[in-house]
Amino acid sequence: MPPAAPVKIDVRNLTKRFGDLLVLDDISFQVGRGEFLAIVGPTGCGKTTFLNCLSKLIPTSAGDIFIDGRVADPRVHNISFVFQEPTCLPWRTVRENVAYGMELKRFPTDKIRERVDYMLGLVGLAETQHLYPNQVSASMVQRITVARAFAVDPDLLLMDEPYGQLDVKLRYYLEDELVKLWQTLKATVIFVTHNIEEAVYVAERILVLSNKPTRIKAEVRVDLPRPRSLIDPAFVQIRKQVTELIRWW
Amino acid sequence: MAYEEVKVRKPLGLILLPFFSVVCFFGAWELIVRAGIVPATMLAAPSDVGALFVDKLTNPNPDGATIFVHAWVSMQEAFLGYLLALGIGIPLGLFMGWFGVVRGIARPIFELIRPIPPIAWIPLTVFWFGIGLWGKVFIIWLGGVVPCVINAFVGVRMTNPTLIQMARTYGASDWQIFKTLCVPSALPMVFGALQIALASCWTNLVAAELLAADQGLGYLITMGRRLALPDMVVLGMVSVGVMGALIGLAIDEVEKRLLAGIRR
Ligand SMILES: Nc1ncnc2c1ncn2[C@@H]1O[C@H](COP(=O)(O)OP(=O)(O)OP(=O)(O)O)[C@@H](O)[C@H]1O
Ligand SMILES: [Mg+2]
Repeated sequence: MPPAAPVKIDVRNLTKRFGDLLVLDDISFQVGRGEFLAIVGPTGCGKTTFLNCLSKLIPTSAGDIFIDGRVADPRVHNISFVFQEPTCLPWRTVRENVAYGMELKRFPTDKIRERVDYMLGLVGLAETQHLYPNQVSASMVQRITVARAFAVDPDLLLMDEPYGQLDVKLRYYLEDELVKLWQTLKATVIFVTHNIEEAVYVAERILVLSNKPTRIKAEVRVDLPRPRSLIDPAFVQIRKQVTELIRWW
Repeated sequence: MAYEEVKVRKPLGLILLPFFSVVCFFGAWELIVRAGIVPATMLAAPSDVGALFVDKLTNPNPDGATIFVHAWVSMQEAFLGYLLALGIGIPLGLFMGWFGVVRGIARPIFELIRPIPPIAWIPLTVFWFGIGLWGKVFIIWLGGVVPCVINAFVGVRMTNPTLIQMARTYGASDWQIFKTLCVPSALPMVFGALQIALASCWTNLVAAELLAADQGLGYLITMGRRLALPDMVVLGMVSVGVMGALIGLAIDEVEKRLLAGIRR
């Protein structure tokens, strides 16, 4: 099933071994420009490894990732990665943290100022911008990293269970905010989670991974209008379908 | 804070006990010397040391300088050595922590030199620099630079690896990661080195002056021995102790300010 939009990300024959352990086995798929793709899979199947390969943090054993037809390269492309654990810099204020990615990419100073103001407004951190990360709540800390990730106008935004450590109510709130950011800023997102409901709630398309050696087991399109409702029968139907796919191996 | 702090009231006896102990200590010391239990050639009574101190405020004889000059010379040597140790040791340690090339070049040499006590360098130092200021500064520097390098190095090595990965995904260069992640992460450890290096510098100052000097508090102790004047020896020792404590307090204050600046 090819993506609806023009191809932005092209993953070809991605294979990753750790010594004798084959973790990712010849995975190929495409992501359209501005698409929101979720990846779900059993624990330990290699989701984090997968993102690390996509972001070029670790080398692949075979195959490669292409962005706009060129081999992905963090120095050339704008790749953002929201890690599972908070990665705010404790010695920088909220504002300086949001600016950090753009500073690394040497954006001009006035562009950074303008863009940070815009992002702080979007995620509701304008009032707390001069505080330090340990002075704001846990949910805000993850919003800082999400704002930092969107701020560089990423070609590819990778998220590794960003809300896994937060309580349910906050999660819904931040997921709504994430969808809003994605709609406003039109980024291409790959969102990894083991929470199926979360995947169905945020994504346009879901890739279901198998156990190791990991392949793409199935692909589910989520054609539901937004804002989505967790109790909408169509929503429940898709959630059950994905759950069955994961459970049945 | 919502709760009132629990105050533990010390009984009056416990508050007075330290003063009592100090008075007894000096009293006993004075007595055993005055009563002749310990001969005056082996130990000076506190009152004699006090009298000598007052005398040395203005009298340069017999050792050639007043107590202020001795203290001032020692201070100069210690601070020069200390500042040079910070200025060279901290950057070196930081670079060794992050850049493999610097680590590869500097670490083996550092590990070879580190176990040699600075005092063992004194003869060579005398050949190289004579007994003037810079020889002693070199010995003091050797003592101070080691903790600076180690603390800065360890501080950089403790940088959270996830932060480094995060910066890498934004395409950060090695230099950018060093500047924006490694150095700020290492700062608390680096500040910790201020106090450790100072203690090491001060210890080595006295050692350097005991063997090769013509002024300074360590020299005062040596002269006391040569002239068989126990009161001068004790005065030198007490001055070294008091000044070391005072400088330690000052550095402690500086360290607190610096840490308050980064720990929010
Ligand atoms: N550096 C490594 N060296 C060797 N094996 C590794 C390494 N990193 C991951 N693995 C192995 O690869 C497999 C996949 O790990 P990974 O962390 O990618 O899984 P995951 O799907 O993210 O799991 P989780 O749901 O717990 O986050 C695991 O079996 C793990 O033991
Ligand atoms: Mg994982």
